[in-house]
Amino acid sequence: MKTRRCPTKLLVCIKQVCETETSFLIDETGRWIRLEEPSAFRMNRPDEYAVEEAVRISETIADSSIEVISVGPARVSAAIRRALGMGAAHGIHIVTPEDGYLSPFVTASWIASFARNREYDLILTGVMSEDEMQGQVGSMIAELLGMPCATSTVSERLLPETGTVRVEREIEGGLRDALELRLPAVLTIQTGINEPRYPSLSKLLRANKYELETIDSRSIGDPEPPEQVIRVSYPEHTRAGLVLNGTGQEKAAHLLRILRERSLIQ
Amino acid sequence: MIDQNIVVIGEHFQGKLKRVTYDVLACARELERLRPATVRVVLLGDDVAGPAYEIVQVTGLDVIAMHIPGLLSYNREVYTGVLEDLLDVLKPAYICAAATTEGLDLAPALAVRLRASCVTGVERVLEVDGRVCFARTMCGGKIVAQVRPETDAAVVTVQPGSFEVTTSEDTIPGAVDIRRVDFEPRRSRSLGVTIGQAEDSGLQEADIIVSAGRGIGKRENLDLIDRLAALFPKSAVGGTRPVCDLGWLEYKKQVGLTGATVTPELYFACGISGAQQHLSGMRGAHFIVAVNSDPHAAIFNVADVCVVEDVATFLPLFIKEWEQSLPARETSTSDSDST
Ligand SMILES: Cc1cc2nc3c(=O)[nH]c(=O)nc-3n(C[C@H](O)[C@H](O)[C@H](O)COP(=O)(O)OP(=O)(O)OC[C@H]3O[C@@H](n4cnc5c(N)ncnc54)[C@H](O)[C@@H]3O)c2cc1C
Ligand SMILES: Nc1ncnc2c1ncn2[C@@H]1O[C@H](COP(=O)(O)O)[C@@H](O)[C@H]1O
Repeated sequence: MKTRRCPTKLLVCIKQVCETETSFLIDETGRWIRLEEPSAFRMNRPDEYAVEEAVRISETIADSSIEVISVGPARVSAAIRRALGMGAAHGIHIVTPEDGYLSPFVTASWIASFARNREYDLILTGVMSEDEMQGQVGSMIAELLGMPCATSTVSERLLPETGTVRVEREIEGGLRDALELRLPAVLTIQTGINEPRYPSLSKLLRANKYELETIDSRSIGDPEPPEQVIRVSYPEHTRAGLVLNGTGQEKAAHLLRILRERSLIQ
Repeated sequence: MIDQNIVVIGEHFQGKLKRVTYDVLACARELERLRPATVRVVLLGDDVAGPAYEIVQVTGLDVIAMHIPGLLSYNREVYTGVLEDLLDVLKPAYICAAATTEGLDLAPALAVRLRASCVTGVERVLEVDGRVCFARTMCGGKIVAQVRPETDAAVVTVQPGSFEVTTSEDTIPGAVDIRRVDFEPRRSRSLGVTIGQAEDSGLQEADIIVSAGRGIGKRENLDLIDRLAALFPKSAVGGTRPVCDLGWLEYKKQVGLTGATVTPELYFACGISGAQQHLSGMRGAHFIVAVNSDPHAAIFNVADVCVVEDVATFLPLFIKEWEQSLPARETSTSDSDST
């Protein structure tokens, strides 16, 4: 097996998403969502686990460095800075002109073309974004770069000296699928793999002054989106969905009556 | 015009077909209804004969069983490598897999290889302006998006439980075509499937499950969940993945895609948003009550009774209501101010 050059280079892909409790409105075209104003944004939760995992790797491997990359409009720089506050050394922002549907293939293509000649040993992503819930970007980056990939990773051990990483993927039925991947590789990180730290204040202060590497998305290719979103709507109810009314106490009393009628409670 | 091809990737483990394969088949049947098509099931692995014969018997469809010696469980590199060659020949318009951890791993990779579009978590198939589209939910289940492939081929993953699985009595068995392929992965090596989590959670035996989501806010509020569960006979406490990730509950209490699948008489969901990955574990419950402070939470779409309230204030009210409604005991001090 080829011995790899030090240092170990890690890239973490992060997405900024809006709070789950946000009200999602449908925009004028009916083809995409619009957020209520003002909306709160934060880092996609699985990506926090990915950043944390990278930081833990770099703490155990001397001479390693972490870079983070995010694709999106101007606001996403806040998420990048948070990752810098957690311990990443460098941030890359692929700037897109506006909010709107971005095909996961397009996102993956941009990140892959950025990463192609940069000799990353390990690329980490979250398992899924909380807003679009595609579960595609990490997997596609791997395929576009011809790298092996493990999704839903719940444990990993990087062995730079052998040029491999050992991982466990979480699968159904409480089982785990153990794999050894040849580096460079892509891992999509499942939540719960670690406990993401809070950014340190001193690092955050430094991050706020740090100049991010910004790249205009139009300058790194124009991949054709393989699919379009043609309409968005609110889901239908699949059950009775009786909404209880009144004060909290009235609702409690009503719920108790319903459960008693069904003999579900004494 | 010749019929188009639809390929279903079957899931199996240790010589047994996984039931989720029938969910995927049901989606393929929907596609077939929209456009004349030949549906084939493809299985890959060392031990494919058993699952292959089950499928041809039950569905009457033909199965291509790629017998790959040494492949004891799913491996992404082998699957994509073997499927790429096979699908280059079959040129299917749709490749359907399950929205499981396997499908999630495979579908995007396969789509890139085949220059196909990829639509994950499909819940419905529809035709809009003469073109086939797929409906999927996003934003924790709050929004449905209709996605239209712009490519000749589409790889889709099917949300389990979304399509009606039908079986007909007298099907003429299809044919099994077993093809041996040797494929040595070069960049990855499977080290085997291990047990990560013991399954004796008490969830399966329970008639009533009270389940906690991130919306319970803090660990201390689990006490409320426990007290609520104690009101019911034969009850157990479960939770969502985030609650387990936070260490508030053990992972064996997790309900959902990568946790337990449960079908209790009553599922009492507290502070749970209703993401598909959670619903797949509990949508078969007989009666669902949901308490959530967000009136738009997706859990309300599958609930029988919806309570838009803060769990931390509502649960104490409910517990108190129950206590006060009991016949007064000899030393009881609680007045009967019942309505
Ligand atoms: C491969 C994969 C497998 C997965 N497997 C599983 C699985 O097996 N099980 C699982 O559960 N998830 C699983 N997930 C995660 C899943 O996608 C969701 O992220 C998760 O179910 C959300 O959990 P939640 O509802 O507790 O949290 P959130 O989505 O954060 O929702 C919290 C809810 O609480 C409500 N709330 C907030 N405050 C209050 C309050 N004071 N009172 C009342 N309500 C309040 C909010 O309105 C919100 O609806 C999986 C994900 C992936 C990618
Ligand atoms: N716009 C983006 N910028 C950077 N990374 C992204 C972006 N979108 C998705 N990702 C990464 O891909 C993962 C899966 O996202 P998705 O395919 O949208 O579910 C996320 O957890 C991120 O790590």
